[in-house]
Amino acid sequence: MKVLAAGVVPLLLVLHWKHGAGSPLPITPVNATCATRHPCHSNLMNQIRNQLAQLNGSANALFILYYTAQGEPFPNNLDKLCGPNVTDFPPFHANGTERTRLVELYRLIAYLGASLGNITRDQKVLNPNALSLHSKLNATADIMRGLLSNVLCRLCNKYHVAHVDVAYGPDTSGKDVFQKKKLGCQLLGKYKQVIAVVAQAF
Amino acid sequence: MALFSVLQTTFLLASLSLRTYQTEVWSEPLPWAPESLKVSINSTRQCLHLQWSVHNLAYHQELKMVFQIEISRIKTSNVIWVEDYSTTVKWNQVLHWSWESKLPLECAKHFLRMRSAVDDAKTPEQRFWSNWSSWEEVDVQNSLGHEPLFVFPKDKLVEEGSNVTICYVSRSQQNNISCYLEGVRMQGEQLGPNVSMFNLNHVAFIRETGTNIYCKVDQGDVIKGVVLFVSKVLEEPKDFSCETQDLTTLNCTWDPGRDTGLLKQLSQSYTLFESFSGKKILCKHKSWCSWQVAPESQETYNFTLTAENNLRKRSVYLLFNLTHRVHPKAPFNVLFKNVSATNATMTWKVHTIGNYYTLLCQVDLYGEGKVTQHNISVRVDGEHLFGGLEPDTQYMAQVRCANANRFWKWSEWTCQNFTTAEAAPSEAPDVWRNVKSAQGDCVVTLFWKPLLKLQANGKILFYNIVIENLDRSSISKLLSIPAPANGTEVILDQCLYQIHVTANNSVGTSPASVIIVSGDPGNTEVEEERVKGTEDGFSLSWKPQPRNVTGYIVDWCDHPRDPLCDLQWKNLGPNTTSTVVSSGAFRPGVRYNFRIYGISTERVPYLLEKKTGYSQELAPSDNPQVVMSNLTSHSFTLSWKDYSTESQPSFIQGYHVYLKSKAGQCHSGWEKAVLSDDAVCCKYKIDNPKQKTFVVENLQPESFYEFLVTPYTSVGEGPHGAFTKVTTPDEYSPILIRIILPMVFCILLITIICYLKSQWMKEKCYPDIPDPYKSSVLSLIKSKENPRLTIMNIKDCVPDSIEVLNKQEGTRKSLTETESTKPTYLYLLPTETSYSGPEPCICFENFTYNQAASDSASCGHVPVPPKAPPSQLGLLTSPENLLKSLEKNYMNSLGEIPAGETSLNYVSQLASPMSGDKSSLPTNPPEPALCSEYKMQMAIPLGLASAPSSGSSSFSSITLLDEGEHYH
Repeated sequence: MKVLAAGVVPLLLVLHWKHGAGSPLPITPVNATCATRHPCHSNLMNQIRNQLAQLNGSANALFILYYTAQGEPFPNNLDKLCGPNVTDFPPFHANGTERTRLVELYRLIAYLGASLGNITRDQKVLNPNALSLHSKLNATADIMRGLLSNVLCRLCNKYHVAHVDVAYGPDTSGKDVFQKKKLGCQLLGKYKQVIAVVAQAF
Repeated sequence: MALFSVLQTTFLLASLSLRTYQTEVWSEPLPWAPESLKVSINSTRQCLHLQWSVHNLAYHQELKMVFQIEISRIKTSNVIWVEDYSTTVKWNQVLHWSWESKLPLECAKHFLRMRSAVDDAKTPEQRFWSNWSSWEEVDVQNSLGHEPLFVFPKDKLVEEGSNVTICYVSRSQQNNISCYLEGVRMQGEQLGPNVSMFNLNHVAFIRETGTNIYCKVDQGDVIKGVVLFVSKVLEEPKDFSCETQDLTTLNCTWDPGRDTGLLKQLSQSYTLFESFSGKKILCKHKSWCSWQVAPESQETYNFTLTAENNLRKRSVYLLFNLTHRVHPKAPFNVLFKNVSATNATMTWKVHTIGNYYTLLCQVDLYGEGKVTQHNISVRVDGEHLFGGLEPDTQYMAQVRCANANRFWKWSEWTCQNFTTAEAAPSEAPDVWRNVKSAQGDCVVTLFWKPLLKLQANGKILFYNIVIENLDRSSISKLLSIPAPANGTEVILDQCLYQIHVTANNSVGTSPASVIIVSGDPGNTEVEEERVKGTEDGFSLSWKPQPRNVTGYIVDWCDHPRDPLCDLQWKNLGPNTTSTVVSSGAFRPGVRYNFRIYGISTERVPYLLEKKTGYSQELAPSDNPQVVMSNLTSHSFTLSWKDYSTESQPSFIQGYHVYLKSKAGQCHSGWEKAVLSDDAVCCKYKIDNPKQKTFVVENLQPESFYEFLVTPYTSVGEGPHGAFTKVTTPDEYSPILIRIILPMVFCILLITIICYLKSQWMKEKCYPDIPDPYKSSVLSLIKSKENPRLTIMNIKDCVPDSIEVLNKQEGTRKSLTETESTKPTYLYLLPTETSYSGPEPCICFENFTYNQAASDSASCGHVPVPPKAPPSQLGLLTSPENLLKSLEKNYMNSLGEIPAGETSLNYVSQLASPMSGDKSSLPTNPPEPALCSEYKMQMAIPLGLASAPSSGSSSFSSITLLDEGEHYH
C-alpha cells in the first residue's frame, strides 16, 4: 500500500500535471470565473457573423487600395509581391466544432489586428497622403477589435474559455521600405483570402 | 688615369654607401604607424568606417600626422580610392575615418589599407611614410542570407540631380534578371558572375513617397526591390528675424524656402543656437521658433539658425540688440465718448513694455472716402479728439503703436467704428413738376430728388409740401409725405400756386424749395426738333431767352415706354444754352423726348423747346400689320393705320412696298429690287411716313401676287419676312355674281312659297282624286271631237254601296284597338229617281273603302314582316290571325302611323296587281309603287255592270275582311 502510495499516486500526479501544463489550448475550468469587462450581447453569434460579413465585404477594396497606393511594381505583379504566402499565419478549420472555430477565429483576428496595426503605422509614414487607405485600415481595425471582443465573450460565456494563446506576425519596423510594402501586401492578400473562408464558416 | 680610376672608385663607393644608408633609413619602421585597424560598414549610408590608433606616443604628446588610405574593389590591385587624412594625434586616441561608397558595399568586396607619416614641424626628420598596413577585406555578401535575389542600396536618400548606383546580387548564375525604374528597364553593367550594377545619373524628384526600383527573375516569381528617396536641395532659410512684444519672449521667424519633398521623417529640422548664452533649441516648427529671454536681461543676441537633413546643412546668422526689436502688441479697449454731429473723442489702452518705454501711436480716421492721420505719444492710455466731422456719418478709426525710442515695427491695427449724431438737412430738395389738365383741374405731379448724404445730415423721415394760392395769398394745403417717397400728385384748380417743399429729419427741417405752378399748364405748341444722340448722351442746345430767366430745366423720361416713365430733370444756370444729357438708363432704339423750360424771375417755368431723338437708331425689327382690302381683278388696297411710328427703334422715313408677281414686270413708279434670297420683285417707295395706305394697281386678273410693306429708316429697313399672298379674281366673276345671286334668291323664294303652299299646289297640280274636268285630257278629247268619249258625270253613276268606318279623327289608335271598332256600313243603293235608264255610263267601281288597308300605307295589303317565318305568315291569311300577329309583333310600328293618314282613302281595285291566289300573298307582298297607280276605268255598257244585290253587298263586306283577294 505504501508502495502504491509512494509510486503510483505521484506518477498520476505528475502525469496530470504534465497534461495541464502542456495543453496547447488552456481552457478555464468550468467552475473557474470567466469574467468579461462588459456584459455580452444576447445575440453574440449573429453579431459575429455580421462583423465577419463586414470584414469580408471590405477586404477586397482594402487590398486594392493598398497595392494601388504602393505604386509599381505592385499592381501588376500581385502574384509575385502580394501572394498569400504568409508562413506563420494562424490556421483555421471550417469543419471544426464551434468552440474550435471560435478559438481559431480569436487567434486569427488577434494576428490580423496586430498586423493591420503595423501596416497602418507604416503607411502613415510611407504614404501620408493616401487618406482613403488610412481610413479603410482604421475601419477594418475597429471592426476587428469589436469582433475580438465578441468572440471572447462567446468563448467565455458558453465555453468558459477565458484566455487563448495568440501569435503575432513579424514586426516590420526594422525592415526596409520595399519590404514593408511587400509584407503588408502579402498580409492583406492573405486576409482577403482567409476572411472569405471564415465568414462562410460562421 | 690611375687618379681618375681612384676617384671613380671612391665616388662609386661613396654613392653606394649613401644609398645603403638611405635604404636603411626608409626601411626602418615608423614608430607611429597606424595599428589596431578595424573596418565596419554602415549599410544605410553605404559608408566604410575605419578606426585605428597610433601607439608609441608619449603621454600628452600631440603629433600632427598624415594617414594615407587606399581602397580597392573586388581585388586589391583595383585601387579605386586614395586619400590623405591629416589630423593631430594624441596619446591613446582612437582615430576614425569614413568613406562613402558609390557602389553599394553589399555588391562587391572592398579592401582597405593605410600608412602614416608625421607632418609636424617639431619632428621634421620623421617626414617619411610608414609601411602599408595589411589589406583589410570587407565582404558583406556572405552575410546576406539565402534568398535568391538582393537589390541594394535600401532606402537610399539622395539629392535631386545626383548620381546613384544600384546593384543586385543573385544567388543563381542561371537566372536572367532585369531591373526597372518606374516601369522602365534599366541597362546595367556586370560586376561579377552574379552581380550587376546600374548607374542612374541626375536622378529627378518624382514623388514624396519615393521611387520603387525593382529587379525580377524573368522565369521565376521573385521580385525584389528598393525604394529610392530623392530630395530637393535644401535651401538656406530666408528672412530670418527675431523680435519681442514683451521683452520676455523672442519670436524668431524665417522663410524655410522650397520644400525638399521628403517624408516627414526624412525632412529637415531647424535648430536655433545663441552664441553668447550657448543655448541651443530644436524648433518644433518649420518657420518659427520661440526663445525665452534670459532673466538676467541679456541685451545682445547672436543667433545661428541651422536647417539640416540627412544630406545637407544650412545656417544663417543674426546679431541684434533686444531693445531694438520691440514689436508692441495691438492697442486694446478702444472707445468713443462725447460723440456729437461734428466731434468725437477716442480713447485706448496699450500693453506696457517695461517702465521706461514710451509708445508712438498712429490714429487713422476713415470716413466719407477720406483718411486723416494723427500721431500721439502714449505711455499707458491714449486719447484723441476728432473734429470737423460730418453729421450722421459712420467713421472707422484705427490705432497702432510702435516703440517711440527705437522704431522697429508697428503693432497690429485695432479698429473701431462710430457714427456721428444727426443735424438738420442743409440743402433744399431739388424739386420739379409735371402738369396735366384734367376736367378743368390742374393735376400737378411733384418730383424731388433725395438729398445727398452730406445735405440730408441724417435720415430723412418725411417731406412737407405747402401749397400756397398766390391769388388769395393764403395757405390752401399742407401735405406731409413720408420718406422715401420721391414725389406726389396734387390736384389744383386753374389758379396760380406756389409750392414749398422741405425735407425733414429727426433734428430739423431743410430750407424750402419753391416752385410756382401756373393754372395754365403752358403746353403751347412748340415744334419738336430731332436730336441725334451718341454713346455719351444727347447734346441739347436752345436759343437764349430775351427776357430774364433765372435758369433752365431740361426734363426727360429715362424709361419712356413705361407708364411711370421715371422723370428726370437737370437744373442749368441762366447763362447756359446747351447741355449734354447722359444717363445710364439710355438704351439704343428707344426714343427719348426732352423738354427745355425756362424759369422766369417769378419762378414760373415755361416750355421753350422740345427735342426728340435716339441715343442710337436701330433698324426696325417689325413690319406693320398690313390689312388688304378692295381686292379687284386689277388692284387692291393696303393699309397699316395701326402702325405707330413713335414706338419704333428709329425715325421712320417712309415705307417700301414689295410686290412679287410671276410676270416680273414693274409698272411705272415701281423699281426692280433683288431680295436677300435673290428673288426679284418690284419695290415702291413711300416717302411720307404718315402715309399708311397704298393702292396696288395695274394688276392682272386671276394672277398670284405676294406683297410686303416694310418701313425704312436711316439705318436700314425692316425685316424681309413673310410676304402676304393674294390672287386677283376673274374679271367676270363680279358680273356673274350680280346675276346669279338674284336668281338663286328668286329660286329660293319660289321654293319656300311652294313649300308653304304645298297643299294648295298639290290640289291644283296633282290631287289625289283628279278632277276630270280640270284634266288636260278633256281638252285633248275635245280637240279630237270624239263624241263617244265623254267624261263621266257623277250624277250619272249609281253607286252600289259605300261603307264608312266610323273613326275618331285626330286620335292615334293601335291596330288592336280597331278590333273594338265596329264598322258602320253605309249602303248606297241606286235610287230610281237617280237612275237614268239603260244608258251607258262611265263609273268607278269602288268596291271597298277600307280604313285598315289605308292605315297600312298599302293598297289593301297587309304588310308582311320580312323576316317572319313561313308558318306564321301562313296564318296571316286569316284576318283574325293577321290582327293577332300584328298585335304581337308590329303593334309599335303600326301604332305610330299618324292618325291623319287614317282617313278614308279611295282604293282602286283595278289597280291591284295581285292575283287571286291566296297562297302567294305571304311570299309575294305587293309592291306599294304599283298600288299607287291609278287606272282610269273606261265606260262600259250598263248591262255588263253587276246589278246591286244583297249578295254583292255581302261580297263587298267580305272584301273588306280579306283584302288579299281581288276580284275582277
